[in-house]
Amino acid sequence: MLQRIIARNNITIHGTGSKSMFLVHGYGCDQNMWRFITPQFKDDYKIILIDLVGSGKSDENSYDYGKYNSLEGYADDVIEICDALKLDHVCFVGHSVSAMIGLLAAIKRPTLFKKLIMIGPSPRYINCENYFGGFSQNDIDDLMETLDSNYLGWSSAMASVIMDNPDRPELAAELEESFCQNNPKIARHFARVTFLGDNRSDLKKLTTDTLIIQSKTDAIASIKVGQFVHDNISNSKLEVLETTGHCPHLSAPSQTIEAMKKYLI
Amino acid sequence: MIYNIDYKELYNNFPSGYFCSLPDGTIIDSNNRFLDLTNYTREEVIGKKKFTDFLSQGGKIYFENVFSPTLKLKGIIEEINFNFIKKEGVKFPVLINSVEVKDKDGIHLFTQSAIFNISQRKKYEHELLIAKRKANDLSNELIDINKELLSSAELILKQKSQLEEFNQHLENKNRQLSSFAHIASHNLRAPVSNLMALKDFYKESTDLEDKGMLFSKVEIVISHLNETLSELIESVKIQGNKGIKHDPIIFDSIFHKTLEILDNQILDSKAVVTSNFSESPNIEYPKLYMESIMLNLLSNSIRYSSPDRIAKIHFSTEINNNNEVMFVAKDNGLGIDLQKHGHKLFGLNNTFHRHPDSKGVGLFMTKTQIEAIGGSITVESDVDKGTTFKIVLNKNIS
Repeated sequence: MLQRIIARNNITIHGTGSKSMFLVHGYGCDQNMWRFITPQFKDDYKIILIDLVGSGKSDENSYDYGKYNSLEGYADDVIEICDALKLDHVCFVGHSVSAMIGLLAAIKRPTLFKKLIMIGPSPRYINCENYFGGFSQNDIDDLMETLDSNYLGWSSAMASVIMDNPDRPELAAELEESFCQNNPKIARHFARVTFLGDNRSDLKKLTTDTLIIQSKTDAIASIKVGQFVHDNISNSKLEVLETTGHCPHLSAPSQTIEAMKKYLI
Repeated sequence: MIYNIDYKELYNNFPSGYFCSLPDGTIIDSNNRFLDLTNYTREEVIGKKKFTDFLSQGGKIYFENVFSPTLKLKGIIEEINFNFIKKEGVKFPVLINSVEVKDKDGIHLFTQSAIFNISQRKKYEHELLIAKRKANDLSNELIDINKELLSSAELILKQKSQLEEFNQHLENKNRQLSSFAHIASHNLRAPVSNLMALKDFYKESTDLEDKGMLFSKVEIVISHLNETLSELIESVKIQGNKGIKHDPIIFDSIFHKTLEILDNQILDSKAVVTSNFSESPNIEYPKLYMESIMLNLLSNSIRYSSPDRIAKIHFSTEINNNNEVMFVAKDNGLGIDLQKHGHKLFGLNNTFHRHPDSKGVGLFMTKTQIEAIGGSITVESDVDKGTTFKIVLNKNIS
């Protein structure tokens, strides 16, 4: 059971501390993105890193299109992993879509996390009446096109020719090695689930202590969105970092670490 | 020869667009080719535009979630396809390579990027995709058609085998019917002519004792006749419903019944009739058929016995190499010239002897009956030496 879960989510455990820190990457990446953050916590924490099913080196065969048709499927995985590893008083760190996955897991199991750290969260990407998510439905279609055309610099239709070509195993191996790239079909599906979801109503259900880390300039989750998340989670703090981009843990790792440490004391 | 290369000139007229940006994306330098591609002036770009300003919203999502993290973690990223937006809002596809430039402490100073216009290639790729999609559709159509063909072929095969089965059934029925008709006419003939002969003896005889003996024979033949009739009636009922009914048969008892029916002919001809069924004393077989087969073969042998010698007729059973039960009828009669008549031996209304009693139905009927049960009949014969019929009663199916 445990072995199956470890393989499914490519779980890796680092650090020598007694407290648990569980970090989950966002859309389009994998656990490598925590590389600049984890060294600063490894003495105080047992650090659990995973790849979401369908991302990184997770078990692609476990990608169930029904289960992962909503973020609940990933939240269930997070709970299952905590149970299997017998974690408690967990500090959960979720980037982007995984901030929402952590939110859903915490609502389902309110005692699971001691603290929740959301980096660049957005409960909804699509604009609607009285809400600015930053994107329109057309923008998501545009993203799909970009995804299609960037599978190895070729359209995914071409990539599928390569993937389906058993005479050229080196091509498939190259695809597996290529960083942060997923199966194109899964990447499309995950993008839809991520960017077309709406978790605004879930924010108010959260009781866990929460820190929101927000880049000052973020084209994906703007500061307005970060403010909205903060306003809707009762026990939350908002920390705005003087940096640009959706991944402050990559573009401004020391500021991110500082904000986390300040919060976790 | 020494060339003086003007690097500034090379940079500006380099055949691909080039720009340099700060970690926050602000473009701090670009070559003229980049400005030509995007239709902006230097003043509009440098220090004012960011990398992501040239991207569509969807492109920005990809930039933030995939491009930027990859570049951060690997320091280099290659062959990413974006649509860049020109000043007038028109998009054109580019491939972009970017590399992070760091100082000696690993601090990210700026990013250098080169973009290649791939409009022509993209058009070609688009055409390819359309062609591929068409080919896929066609292939799917073919697969569907193939599936339909396969299933209709399967159906035809099923129908064919059903027809064959049905045909087989009809053939069997047909065989049963014709053999039944023959049994009806033939099996009744022998006892009736026997009765006729007994009647004549009875009339001619004056001795009371003889008359009594003859009458008791008449009684026996009548009772056999009656039995045959009721069996015929019974078999009509059975044949109407299903296949031919098999009965447990003891060869010896049918043999004796046959002897009784033909008693008169045997006495007349002085034939010596013997039997040995020890190899296979019984079998499951339609009783009426077995009676008919023995009756036919015995009356044939008597009828075609040689006037030059005492007729010897022997009936027996054997188990052949295929573990099948065989019925063998052997005589020392006139024999048949198989070279001449072999092909029509079992035909209807063929007679090979100018014999007053020949009606030419016996062997045809026998063969028909045997085959209706799935057996076969073969003959060996030498003229003026004798004939042997070998009958495989039940073909071994395995």
